[in-house]
Amino acid sequence: MSTIQRTWKLNGKKVSVRGPAGRRLLDYLREDLDLIGAKEGCGEGECGACTVLIDNEPVASCIVPIGQLADGTEILTIEGVEKKRAGRLLQRAFLECGAVQCGFCIPGMIISAYALLMRNPRPTPRAIRAALAGNLCRCTGYAKIIQAVTLASSRLPVPTKRK
Amino acid sequence: MSKAASQPRRLVGHGMIRVDADGKVRGQTRYLNDIRYRNVWHGVVVRSPVARGRFKALTLDPAFDWSRVVVATAEDIPGENVVHMHDRTMPLLGEVGGELLYRGEPVAVVAAKTLKLATEAAGHIRVEVEELPPLLTLQETVDIFKKTPKRFVSMQDKNIVKGDLAKGFAEADEILEAEYWAGHQEQLYIENQGIVVFPQKDGSILAEGSLQCPYFPVNELNDPLQLPPEKIRVRQTPVGGAFGGKEEYPTMLVGYAALPALKSGRPVKITYERHEDILFTPKRHPVWVRYKTGFKKDGTLTAIECDYILDGGAYLTISDVVMFRGILHCALAYRCDNVVIRGRVARTNSMPSGAFRGFGAPQAIWGIESHMDAIAARLGMTPHALRRKLHARAGDTTPTGQVLSKENGATECLNLALERSQFAQKLRQSSRGKLRKGQSKYYGAGLSFFAHGAAFTGDGEAKFQAKGRVELARLEDGRPGVNIRVSSTEMGQGVHTIFTQIAADAFSLDPARIRYPMADTGLVPDSGPTVASRTTMVVGNIVHRASLDLKAQMEAFASLHFFRGEKARLENSQFHAEGRKPLPFGRVAGKMLDELGEASGFFQFKLPADIRWDQDRFRGDSYPGYSWAAHIAEVEIDPITCELEVTRVTAVIDVGRIINPILAAGQVEGGLTQALGYAVMEKMATGKDGLYDASRLQTYIIPTALDTPAYDIQFVEYPYSFAPPGGKGLGELPMDGLAPAIANAVEAAIGKRLRTIPITPESIFDALHDPSGATP
Ligand code: FES
Ligand code: FES
Repeated sequence: MSTIQRTWKLNGKKVSVRGPAGRRLLDYLREDLDLIGAKEGCGEGECGACTVLIDNEPVASCIVPIGQLADGTEILTIEGVEKKRAGRLLQRAFLECGAVQCGFCIPGMIISAYALLMRNPRPTPRAIRAALAGNLCRCTGYAKIIQAVTLASSRLPVPTKRK
Repeated sequence: MSKAASQPRRLVGHGMIRVDADGKVRGQTRYLNDIRYRNVWHGVVVRSPVARGRFKALTLDPAFDWSRVVVATAEDIPGENVVHMHDRTMPLLGEVGGELLYRGEPVAVVAAKTLKLATEAAGHIRVEVEELPPLLTLQETVDIFKKTPKRFVSMQDKNIVKGDLAKGFAEADEILEAEYWAGHQEQLYIENQGIVVFPQKDGSILAEGSLQCPYFPVNELNDPLQLPPEKIRVRQTPVGGAFGGKEEYPTMLVGYAALPALKSGRPVKITYERHEDILFTPKRHPVWVRYKTGFKKDGTLTAIECDYILDGGAYLTISDVVMFRGILHCALAYRCDNVVIRGRVARTNSMPSGAFRGFGAPQAIWGIESHMDAIAARLGMTPHALRRKLHARAGDTTPTGQVLSKENGATECLNLALERSQFAQKLRQSSRGKLRKGQSKYYGAGLSFFAHGAAFTGDGEAKFQAKGRVELARLEDGRPGVNIRVSSTEMGQGVHTIFTQIAADAFSLDPARIRYPMADTGLVPDSGPTVASRTTMVVGNIVHRASLDLKAQMEAFASLHFFRGEKARLENSQFHAEGRKPLPFGRVAGKMLDELGEASGFFQFKLPADIRWDQDRFRGDSYPGYSWAAHIAEVEIDPITCELEVTRVTAVIDVGRIINPILAAGQVEGGLTQALGYAVMEKMATGKDGLYDASRLQTYIIPTALDTPAYDIQFVEYPYSFAPPGGKGLGELPMDGLAPAIANAVEAAIGKRLRTIPITPESIFDALHDPSGATP
């Protein structure tokens, strides 16, 4: 398998990556960088526990080979999200609303919710449900997660409309 | 002293933020696969390729280099090849010469430095088996049960008998008989199973991993490993969901990993990936339940006869107790003088079924709550009028002869649920197979009403006498605090938080000074497994009482050492004595630790003396307490595609004292969502090849955020007064009763009763289009 050499921006910092092109991004993050917030729940792109942001899009990192990510790709993991205002608001709201149970799905959930709030700071409950539909949670029944995202959104400053 | 300070702050009843949530939202909590172990080998399980067969030989490919791996087979088991669960029939590994009883039955464990190498090596092991004809499904065994009952193999039988069944049927105006089916259900915790076993120099083992019941492996593997309980130490890592799935099964994983670990002297870790986890760990038992009921024109139930058969799989494991809990819930919630319930556990050549939230009760309640609606329909009564008339209340006698105590919110749950959901009106709006004016979809509302017995079945708690401790300790900041030492595991349900609340109130201490370290059998007394909705009720009481014990010791110490014999009391983290300046908790606790070295409070749970249970006759007080609930489900069904949407669920619940309303509501929402999956989505059966026919997330579909209805959850509190703070058991109840409420709503929507779950668009289509199909 071919070896790649890339430079990405990971959680705001430059990283140089070397390795087999087919290596899963999830393994690289967890094994090489000890960024263990992204979890493996299925390894098949179905559960969302491994979700990270790639160029602002939530993606299942278990099905992304590192060779697919070009130089300059921006990656944000749960470890980087808390440096962002919306990320901190989400974490706080998840605590306050009791949206966390076993916690295994939560980093992926927060990443997906963060991506939503970046796109749409005032989502409707329906839009929140749709944005989280790729993140399975077996504990909470989603109600308090949806409530938490709504709460975080209400605390985000109203975006100013640009002409 | 200010007025506020004289009012001790109370945490029980408040939605305190979870003590474990911060690490979880930040992605910092380390679950098993996040822990960096050094020099740990990876184990892979080699399995039977057939559902049933004579195990002829196990051969290692001579062309493969075996020097870099360790292979453990039944020959490497130091002692007797048997895992001691509820019986002693299941081997740890299949043995050459013996019979293999299910596809996937483990026959060897391979370990190597990397998972890749271990997996590769496992592929070079040949398992030779002479195939025998298997009996794969519950359907086949029920056919045998009906046609040739003598040939039906039951691993465990138990009957409940109350009154005189023949007399009851003789008194009846009408008799209604019907059968109900449910398939497997997968727990689908998002964190897969995993265990690591470290062999110790003295020959003992230390295991840690994702599990609910640390004392199970300690007491179940003594025979095969030839280790006494004190030489098997087990501790939990943070658990990413369990729901019963990590109750009895982790014992097997500890056993599998221990064999190559003991053989090689190296730590061995076994973690399953999703596919293997779904295929080869226990599921909820499929059920067949048949009710024959006699009743009078006014609705009085004169007789209930019930057969309840579970598919236990190839070995009993814990299925006897699942069946016991099942039959105890088959006719629990209604008044009837003449009852016979027969419970059986069928043996099939499939993966042994196991624990899953509800533990036999959801299967029972699925049957009886569907059947109650069928009776109401036959009588021309509304489902709620029938339940209002018949539901059990304080002073009534259960099928096993238990008189229900006053701590019983049954009537209030039922009435409040009907009122909150405006059920009578909703029922009138139901389509019954004809779209009404303004409806583009069939609409229906359905009701269920039920109880859930809290804690171990029968005399379980009386015999077990769970123990727990709280102790003074130096916390990580060096200041003194309190450690809670019980074996209840945190798996998401929130026990670390609610026990912190209970201890804080008992001491009257700032919860920031209280810790609840992960359960570790080397450090905690056996307060029992984290199962059976017993944790808040039983172990919560232990924490409360042990805290009061230590508090009294501290007050005596403070009085002696700081207040010259003046009586001291601990309140709001300070010790007070008449006419003295209050002392902070840490002063007294620190001096106690310095002088005594250690100090702890202890409590052992004993049931009230008047609780009686006869296990042989299955009579008496089957549970120390009961939780109650009424659910109302509303559904919409597309008349063309038959797609079903559950739009709203109203749940009114009495689980006794609510320790933390936010966590309690979260338990209910999560449980209801699992029950929603059970009712309408999660379809799984044993296939012809002996494997579950849905073994990936693409095929085994659980609810997503788009599938869950609006939940209206309301608690009514009838606390269990014997065991303060008075919880009655919450964990399982939300899984119990939603499926029949949905089936009843489907009946209201399309005018046909479906008697198999999950109810899918296909089964609705068939019911709508097959004139001979399901009818009430
Ligand atoms: S682990 Fe990546 S989607 Fe499940
Ligand atoms: S909190 Fe357990 S899976 Fe979501």
